[in-house]
Amino acid sequence: MAAHSPRPESSPDDIAWEGAPRLWRSLEECAEAPDVRGRFAAEFPEAVQGWTIDRRNCLRLMAASLALAGVGCDRNRGGVGAPLFSQPRGTPGHTPGMPLFFATSLELDGYGRGVLVKTQDGRPIKIEGNPLHPASLGATDPFLQAEVLSLYDPSRSPGPTEGGEARDWNTVGPFLWALRDDFVASEGRGLAVLMQPVASPTRDRLTTALRAMLPEARWHSFAPITDHNRRAGAELAFGRAVEPIYDLTSADVILTLGGDLFASEPGHLRYAADYQARRRAAPRPLPRLIAVESTPSLVGSRADERIALRPRDMEWFARGLAAAFGVSVAAPGETHSAVPRLAAQLRRAGSRGIVSAGREQPAAVHALAYAINDRIGAAGSTVRLIEPLRPGGDELASMRALSEVIARGEVFRLLILGGNPAYDAPADLDFAELIRRVPLSVHLGYGRNETAAACRWHIPQCHALEAFGDLRAFDGTVGLCQPATARLAPSLSIDELLGALVAEGTDGRALLAKAWRGAWGDHDFEGRFMRAVEEGVVSDTASPSVDVSVRTDWDQGPRPSDGKGSIDIVFAPDASMWDGRYASNGWLQELPKPLTKQVWGNAALISPDTAERQKLRTGDVIEIAADGRTIAAPVWVLPGQAPDTLTLPLGYGRSMAGALGSGIGFDGYRLRGSREPWMTAGEIRSIGRREALVTTQQHHSMHGRAIVRTVPAESQSLPAPPPQPSLYPEWPYEGHAWGMAIDLDACIGCNACVIACQAENNVAVVGPEQVARGREMHWLRVDRYYAARPEDPRTYFQPVPCMHCENAPCEVVCPVNATVHSSEGLNDMVYNRCIGTRTCSNNCPYKVRRFNFLDYQSAAYAASDEVMNPQVTVRDRGVMEKCTYCVQRIAAARIEAGIENRRVKDGEIVTACQQACPTQAIVFGDVNDPASRVRELKRSARNYALLGELNTRPRTSYLARIEAPPEEGRG
Amino acid sequence: MASEVSTFTTPIADAPLARRFSPAWRLALLAAGGLVGVLGLTLAVSWVMGVGSWGVNIPFVWGFDLTNYAWWIGIANGASLFAAILVLRRHSLRTAVNRFAEAVALSGAICAGLFPIIHLGRPWLFYWVFPYPATYEVWPQFRSTLTWDLWGILTHIIVLGLLWYVGLIPDFATMRDRARSSRRQRIYGILALGWRNSVRHWSYHQTAYRLVAVLVLPLLTMMQSIVALEFATTLVPDWHETRLPLHFVATGLAQGLAIVLLVAALLRWGLSLEQHIDDRDLDLLGKLVLASALVAGYLMLDEVAAAYLSEPSEWTATRNRITGEYAGYFLAALVFSVVVPQLLWFRAARVSVLAAAYVGVSVSLGVWFDRFSIVIGGAQRDYLPSMWRSYAPTLVETGLLVGTVGLFAALLLLFVRFVPAVSMFETRHDEHEDRA
Repeated sequence: MAAHSPRPESSPDDIAWEGAPRLWRSLEECAEAPDVRGRFAAEFPEAVQGWTIDRRNCLRLMAASLALAGVGCDRNRGGVGAPLFSQPRGTPGHTPGMPLFFATSLELDGYGRGVLVKTQDGRPIKIEGNPLHPASLGATDPFLQAEVLSLYDPSRSPGPTEGGEARDWNTVGPFLWALRDDFVASEGRGLAVLMQPVASPTRDRLTTALRAMLPEARWHSFAPITDHNRRAGAELAFGRAVEPIYDLTSADVILTLGGDLFASEPGHLRYAADYQARRRAAPRPLPRLIAVESTPSLVGSRADERIALRPRDMEWFARGLAAAFGVSVAAPGETHSAVPRLAAQLRRAGSRGIVSAGREQPAAVHALAYAINDRIGAAGSTVRLIEPLRPGGDELASMRALSEVIARGEVFRLLILGGNPAYDAPADLDFAELIRRVPLSVHLGYGRNETAAACRWHIPQCHALEAFGDLRAFDGTVGLCQPATARLAPSLSIDELLGALVAEGTDGRALLAKAWRGAWGDHDFEGRFMRAVEEGVVSDTASPSVDVSVRTDWDQGPRPSDGKGSIDIVFAPDASMWDGRYASNGWLQELPKPLTKQVWGNAALISPDTAERQKLRTGDVIEIAADGRTIAAPVWVLPGQAPDTLTLPLGYGRSMAGALGSGIGFDGYRLRGSREPWMTAGEIRSIGRREALVTTQQHHSMHGRAIVRTVPAESQSLPAPPPQPSLYPEWPYEGHAWGMAIDLDACIGCNACVIACQAENNVAVVGPEQVARGREMHWLRVDRYYAARPEDPRTYFQPVPCMHCENAPCEVVCPVNATVHSSEGLNDMVYNRCIGTRTCSNNCPYKVRRFNFLDYQSAAYAASDEVMNPQVTVRDRGVMEKCTYCVQRIAAARIEAGIENRRVKDGEIVTACQQACPTQAIVFGDVNDPASRVRELKRSARNYALLGELNTRPRTSYLARIEAPPEEGRG
Repeated sequence: MASEVSTFTTPIADAPLARRFSPAWRLALLAAGGLVGVLGLTLAVSWVMGVGSWGVNIPFVWGFDLTNYAWWIGIANGASLFAAILVLRRHSLRTAVNRFAEAVALSGAICAGLFPIIHLGRPWLFYWVFPYPATYEVWPQFRSTLTWDLWGILTHIIVLGLLWYVGLIPDFATMRDRARSSRRQRIYGILALGWRNSVRHWSYHQTAYRLVAVLVLPLLTMMQSIVALEFATTLVPDWHETRLPLHFVATGLAQGLAIVLLVAALLRWGLSLEQHIDDRDLDLLGKLVLASALVAGYLMLDEVAAAYLSEPSEWTATRNRITGEYAGYFLAALVFSVVVPQLLWFRAARVSVLAAAYVGVSVSLGVWFDRFSIVIGGAQRDYLPSMWRSYAPTLVETGLLVGTVGLFAALLLLFVRFVPAVSMFETRHDEHEDRA
């Protein structure tokens, strides 16, 4: 080495000398050697010639570029595609293709209901109940299920408007700042703010801050489904406002005075669940549920005893009942014949009794209910009283006051944050016109609705699934809201707009965190906050009971009857539209209402004998006159409706609810006054016109067939079915054998399962014309049957999914083998193979098969592509479809179990209908598993197969409903 | 040989060979062609939009489609049974009418064959019913009556086509010999399959003709029975009856005979073929129609009695069919297909062209009402009252029915134009026998 003097900057070439071994430092370098190159060229001649562009290479490059173009253009990256905030539930981290669950709360009636939002690659596609949330316990109602479709509402506001002209978002900021400066300068003089009362601590904090900033501003709150009577009743009875919470798990006798404890009262999901838990609490004797009501309700349908009373008689009935308990009421007079019997039952129940009053009942009925609860000892036991959660006082008075000041010209600036008062405010106020009189009105709303049209400015509000916030449940428990998706359109939440006005910015998360930092302090705040967001519930925030006592001298006696009309009129939130906010939601429009099974419209409900007397049939249009206003509406003859009583479901007749929701049904608000928003009286007359009402069920009697079976409470068992002969040997199922049991004793007919199934399985919305033809697509329907007299019917609900018959009649008749049996006993539908002979439906005695008569999924009413569950095929025209037992969920669980090398556990697979059910009426599982719940239920003496006599051997079986023994003295 | 009998067969051969046809024929073809246009339009709508353009729904997944199908099959069946019996028994009547009967049968089968395809949700995939070796090795469900139906209708069309064509071969040869233009000569020549009138040809021809006629016989009961089984094998209470195939065969026979009577009367009147379709022929046909109508009447009464004695669900369903929303159709079936043919007790009515046409139309209508009553009225009351509904056809469905009637008429009009309407060789045969 010394003979050569290597230079420090030597390169490999420099040290190569003749005959020396060639040194190389990399494979590339080695390959450059001439000998290697020669060998390489011999082996791969094309590579040495270089990359020539020939036809193949050209095509190859084109294909690769196209593929890469697709890969690169993920507009969702960093936005919708990634979890936004919380640690996602279910899977650690985000595995693409795996769903994520976000806990949040959704509002109805001002209260929060906890949900888990299932998102797939950034798209919310399904909503489930949050098991940790007291108002849900994991269950949902149709509104919660359908909220995810509203998120993708094509009629949601695309951007701000001023005077009806579209405005750029860039103009909104300066406008808001100018507005704010203007407000601050005038201390809010001439400003009126109208909001819906919502139990939200963050919103309370922001409004308090804004009110402090603008002392001269007027604050008003209004929601059409007002709970004012409940509060006024408490003020009568206790001298202060409280809200009642019922504990149905320990109740023995429940008497409801109007309302619907299972469908529309705050906490209804929880009440339904608790009531069923109480029924299942053997060996305690079954509880007794008594419904006194004017309009048939879910609670009335489930009740052991139901008394139909005209609205004007409800107070008289309550007074009689209260008098039976020695509550000093003025002038009880003659009482209803059932009162002594019911009073005796309540007295026996003592502190395990409940008397509840519905929101439409006058304040006196609420006060009487409070007093009776107090007298029997239920207060503090089954009935808890808490501080009122919904802010604001008398909403109607507030609305009247606002109208007056606008009419007097004292309002120059009107902020309407959420809601739709131009549509749903009482008719006597003519609020839409009043809005137009205000020089500057600003509306924050999800859609460009009636109020948006009346206001000068409209600013798009974001969807609840896009915003932070918090909501209190009916019992006070706080649930935190978080977005489950990035905003699908630029928009603001109410909190964010308020935040902007109080100069706290429009960061929803910061606004929320600030409220809770105030409550929790700085110590470990982020950790605590994150946990609360992840769980969706802030633990230990349920309202404590308040200690109040019933006053003795509260009763001023019954209000004199003004006798202004012979027909009592009751307004009610609609079972599908609620207050009208869901008008553009196709799932809810096409959801058969629990009792009438009407879709795509509403009708004035009237009792059979009144209809007969007035010579009215379902579909006849009547003119309803009350308080100097008239509207026209078609009637619906509803068994069980109180005589001479007209119930007007609200929420229809929207004029600006998008292409899908406008102009459907009649608008009951046009008759509703601000003095008596729930009950009034008037006259009706037929105007000799008929309207075609769309319903999914046209026959209401079981015709003496054993379809919904009942068992007496004592024996609770059905006779064993006769054995069915068969020429074929029993087919052995060696692995899993999936089955379902539906407890008809638990089903309240709430429809949550129907929408849950629709959301999970991409079931098409077909529109009113198609439903009228009998082509609705619901895989799961809830049949409703009546028994006994039309005036006083027994109402039975029966959810009917596919029965997955072991001897499936549909399978043998399909000429192309498009419906076949799986090895686990499922009756599978192979969409690709189906040619649409429809003969399977002919041979299905349950008629659960649904056919795509037209291309529904790309027709006018079709749901947005974004809401589709990617795990479920979207069916094409000409293909039969039906319930699959949520086979995608079965497959997912099977894969999961396979990865973990174990059998699928019982309870691991929950079908969509089962998951939504508040009363756990639906149980799915492996009937081969000796320990499974479904097997246990199928062994019950109440278990029976629907149409079992046909020897179809359905895998879905029913548990007979338990009928209470008739109480003594009941005629 | 041909010249000897030209006096008898010339009018028959003249019709197809005439350069021009009567204005009445042209008018009739125009009308029928218009209806074929309606058929084309409604077929296109059904194909493009889907069967949603019809009134079908759940539970009435079948409406006009199967009603019309069963009806056309009935026409095809009755007519082909008649033709086959004539061929086999070498009855004198066959000379006059079996060619029409065959044509009626074939046209009916073609009209019927449209419905099973267009009624599919995805009609372009109809061939999946064939047992072909698909990639996934999915085979048809051989237990399904719809698979049987495919084979039934295919066999039906093939056998009827053969019966009609084999009978025509000697006449095509005559046409070839008498054709005035070389183009016609060539076409009839190809159709005549090189017929040279040799004794050997005649012997083979007779064997083949009678063989095909024998094939028709089992086919008839088979085809109507398969259509009936499509209903009878389901669980639908009113359909689930073993008597249904018999009902379909018997009423279909009455219908087919009535159509043959109608066509024979129309041909006799329209083409002045009194010599070939004489009073005796009409009289015989009339008696057959009357007899088959009596059988149909018996079966309808039997149905009511059988349903009354069966399970409550079946009685409910049948009672609803007789007295419910679609009772009118049951009544119409009874009146049109059973009561009206009682006219034929009178000889005057039997030999009257007008009465024959009237009864022919009436029975055929009656059987359509019967099919509708079964397909729709029978499906209205099944097991779960919650799904009880109604059915009303749309314009598209009605268009399909009217359109197939047009197609049927057009096919028959073209038949009398281009093909000898009465078998010439049989006529010649009769003439020879008479002379001898």
